[in-house]
Order: sequence, then C-alpha cells, then structure tokens
Amino acid sequence: MVPSMSAFENTSANTEVEVFRRLYPLEFYDRLLDKSVRLDARSLRHFRDSTVAFGAVSSANGSALVKIGSTTMLAAIKMEIMTPSVEAPDEGNVAIEFHMPPICSPVVWPGRPVEAAPVISKQLTDTILRHVNPSEFLLADSYFLSFRVKYFVKCSGMIDLKELCLVSGKAAWMAYLDICCLDADGGLFDAALLSAAAAFSHLQIPVVSLNEEGRVFIVSEEEAGKSKKEAVNKEKRKLNLRSIPLSLTCILHKNYIIPDPTAEEESIIETSVTVVMDSSDQLVSLYKPGGQILAFSKAIQECVELTRQRVKELLRILEAAVSDMEVD
Amino acid sequence: MEFVSPEGLRLDGRRPLEMRQLRAEIGSISKADGSAVFEMGNTKVIAAVYGPREVENKSQQISDKALVRCEYTMANFSTGDRVRKPKGDRRSTEISMVIRQTMESCILLEKFPGSQIDIFVQVLQADGGTRSACINAATLALADAGIPMRDLVTSCSAGYLNSTPLLDLNYVEDSAGGPDVTVGLLSKMDKVTLLQMDSKLPIDIFENVMQLAIEGCKAVANYIREILLENTKQLEYRRGK
Repeated sequence: MVPSMSAFENTSANTEVEVFRRLYPLEFYDRLLDKSVRLDARSLRHFRDSTVAFGAVSSANGSALVKIGSTTMLAAIKMEIMTPSVEAPDEGNVAIEFHMPPICSPVVWPGRPVEAAPVISKQLTDTILRHVNPSEFLLADSYFLSFRVKYFVKCSGMIDLKELCLVSGKAAWMAYLDICCLDADGGLFDAALLSAAAAFSHLQIPVVSLNEEGRVFIVSEEEAGKSKKEAVNKEKRKLNLRSIPLSLTCILHKNYIIPDPTAEEESIIETSVTVVMDSSDQLVSLYKPGGQILAFSKAIQECVELTRQRVKELLRILEAAVSDMEVD
Repeated sequence: MEFVSPEGLRLDGRRPLEMRQLRAEIGSISKADGSAVFEMGNTKVIAAVYGPREVENKSQQISDKALVRCEYTMANFSTGDRVRKPKGDRRSTEISMVIRQTMESCILLEKFPGSQIDIFVQVLQADGGTRSACINAATLALADAGIPMRDLVTSCSAGYLNSTPLLDLNYVEDSAGGPDVTVGLLSKMDKVTLLQMDSKLPIDIFENVMQLAIEGCKAVANYIREILLENTKQLEYRRGK
C-alpha cells in the first residue's frame, strides 16, 4: 500500500523540526518561549503534575514513591538502634543518602559517578536536620544582587532528634533515609525533598523492648503479641513533624523565570535558582550556583513567590495522601 | 524446621507446585529506551535498557556485533537489614555476569555492530529469586526497547525441602540450606540457556526439580506474552487505529 503524499510531507517536516531541535536547542527554545510555550507544551508558569504514594517498599519502616512529571523518586527509611554520642545523649540521628543508579538517565554510566548525587545528598541533609553551624554562615556580597543575602546552611528543624531517643545515654534510633532516583527528568532536588518529607510522614517507629542483658532490641511483628517483656515503647508511633521544608527550582533565561524545569530544559539553560520554604511560610534556603544570567532582587523575589505557591500546592497533595493513608 | 506442613502447605500458604503472584509493567522509566518493573511475590525489580548506543570505551568495541553490558544493583532498603554495599561486591558482580550472558544468548547482536546495549537492573525489594526476576524484567525491557531477540528468555527457581520439590522459593526457603536450582529458558525454542544449582541433590531428584523449574519458566513466558500483547494493544489504541 503506497503511503499518501501528505504522510510523506508530514514526516519530512517533522524530521526538520527534530533536527533543528537537536542542533540548535537554544534557538528552538527561544522560538517556543516567544509563543509562551515550553518544550513539553506546558505554559510558562505551569507546574508538572505531582503525586505521592506511601508504602511503596513494604520491608522498610517508612517509604514513599513521589513523581513530579516524569521525575520519579523512591524514598525508604530503615531504623536501627545505636548508642547515642556523648555530646548528645538524648538525641538520635538521621543519615540521608541520595542515589542515582544508571537506570534513571542515559547520562549516568556505571563507573562514572554523577556529580549531582553527592551534592543533592548534602543539600538534603542540611535542609532536613537541625544543624546550625556558625562557621558556615556566608555573606554573599556578590554583585549579582542589590542587597546582601545571608546564605544560610541552616535547616528548618523538621525533625526533633530528641524524639528519636529511647533510653538516655544508652540507646537511640538511627534512621537511614535512602532516596533512589528511578527516572531523572529535571527538578531532582525538589522531588527528592518531597519524597523525604513524605517518607518521614509515613514512618512508623517500631516497638522495642529490653532483653536479659539490658540491651534494647526491635520486637518483630510475630513476637509482639507473645512477648512477656515490658516494651519500652508500647505501640508503633509516628514522628511529630514540625515545619515541612519543600522547594522549587526555577531556571532563568533572558528575562523569563521558568519554574519546574525538565531535564531537557536544564541541559539547555544553565542558570537556576532553588528556593526552599517551609510550611509556616518561612524562607529556609536560597541556592543560586553561578550561571550566565545575573539576577536582580526583583527576580529573586519572584522566585520566592512562585515557591510559596508551589509549597502550598505540594502541602495539599501531601495532606491528601496522608489522610487517605489514615483512612486505610 | 518444617517448610511443608503435613497438609501440604508452605510457609506462605502456597502449594509446593504453586508460583508466587506475578506482576509486570512496561515503560515505567520515561528516559530509558526500554524499561520494565517485574514482581514475583514480594521480590520487586526494575530494569532499564539503553541502546543500541555508542560504545563508551572504544577499546571494547566489537566490529561485527553489539556489546552487551549489564549491571545488577540492590537498593539499600531492599533487604531486611540495610545493604551497605549495593554493588561491586562479589554476589552482585556474579549476578551481573550471569544476566549478561543469558541475555547475550538471545539478542540478535549481529544487527547492531560496533554499538553497545546497556541493561541495568535494580532490586527494589528482595524476597528470594532476585536473579530470576531480573532476567524476566530484562526480557520485558528489551522488548519494550524494540531490540530484536531470538526468543523470550524467562527464568524461575525451584528447590527441594522436606523431600518435596518446591517451585519459586522465597527468601526463607532459599536460606534454609537446601538445594536451589535456577533455570533460564528460551521459551518457544525450549532450550535451556542458564542452569545454576547449589548444595547437593541426587541425579534423579535433580531432574525432577529442573523439570519443575522449566515449567515455571514456561508459565512466566505465557504471562510475559500477555503483558506484551496488552501493551501493543494500548499503543495501537492510543495511535488511533
């Protein structure tokens, strides 16, 4: 069967567009932006659809699968018992690690470590934990901005480490949070932070009791009913999360501020601003790592405003997922 | 310890010749050329295929066929105790090699000379039979990527505990110390491409257990065919035909 002429014409026109897109990505993007459309046909200020699902990993104490557009993050928390440090006998600890296995993106190869992974691990740790270190206060007196911005490496205090204490000085919880990126399509830090917050919302602290030598051990599900020993904490409880930090990354191009970029957009445009705010509407951190575009304070304020909107939306999604879970 | 009760039920309530519940999904990773999630009971693995693409290390390039590279990793949270070293340890390296050789036997490598096909498998939840689940997921991912294959390779394991051959062992049964036979089968051609066994078995019982594993492989192949057919129907429907 001979294909029609119009099919031929369409194919060659499509090929031309594809070739232009590959060879001149910046010009292609400019032309789309002039018509107020982005590469994936979104409008300029449109955020991608985000979903949160709890309990994706049944063997973990808390877990969540988060998708922002195509970017997929799987976060899981495993709790272990450790001896608290001498300086902080009443506090437990949280260890956060972010992994980008080769399945997530064609640019990740085994044997070639991605530079994004440890950077995001560190950023997540700083944002989530109670970690004010005075020596890390920096004054960004750069010529970018018309006012001084104090770059805080402070966190929002989402988790009070004192809640992770079991027996003062003897036993405390170590929560290992592992976030695995399953699909890297831009906005990795935003998705990772959302998945961390979701996993902590889902976390149930297991029941423990003391054995004969006075050591604390985790009571497994089967033994819980049969145990005659006094349980140190009677039932599984959830963590009391105070303010939840959430973020938005925007890319800056000419005088456009474009929120929630995909991987293709991030590869074309190098300048990005990440703003972290918490649920009590306070600014937690601001991150603009260089880039060709210099941002005036007005641009930064616009990013903060966009983040405020985004955080409200994400909190609504989180709360809806939490209430669905509690219904079950 | 009793793995098969006098009534003939295993620890998780299955019959000795019963497989765990299978569940598969194609196209989960948007950035990959082909991807699939495969679940066998509580074991859950995700596979991604990138390729055929340019060879990373030119010295390894083969002029008349494609180079296959495979990496098997376990997520830190996949097992009961947190995994400290997700890859690079001996077990992961061995399983990577086993999966690579199994898939090499069925991909038509001569069609893509001088290129590289990458198969990455990540275990999200491990409850026994991860090797088999990885091979099944890799087959689906390769089909999703449109890479031509001789046949569908499927895999299943079988063991022998309490004098009973058991199909599809879970973690508790696998760590009981009894024999564990893993078979990889080219389903339509009825050819065994992978056969591994540990522990000891008399020859006649071994033949029974291997036959049981082969039946399991055929059941998995039927399920995979259904999934692929359903996926194609969906694609046709979306295309508007």
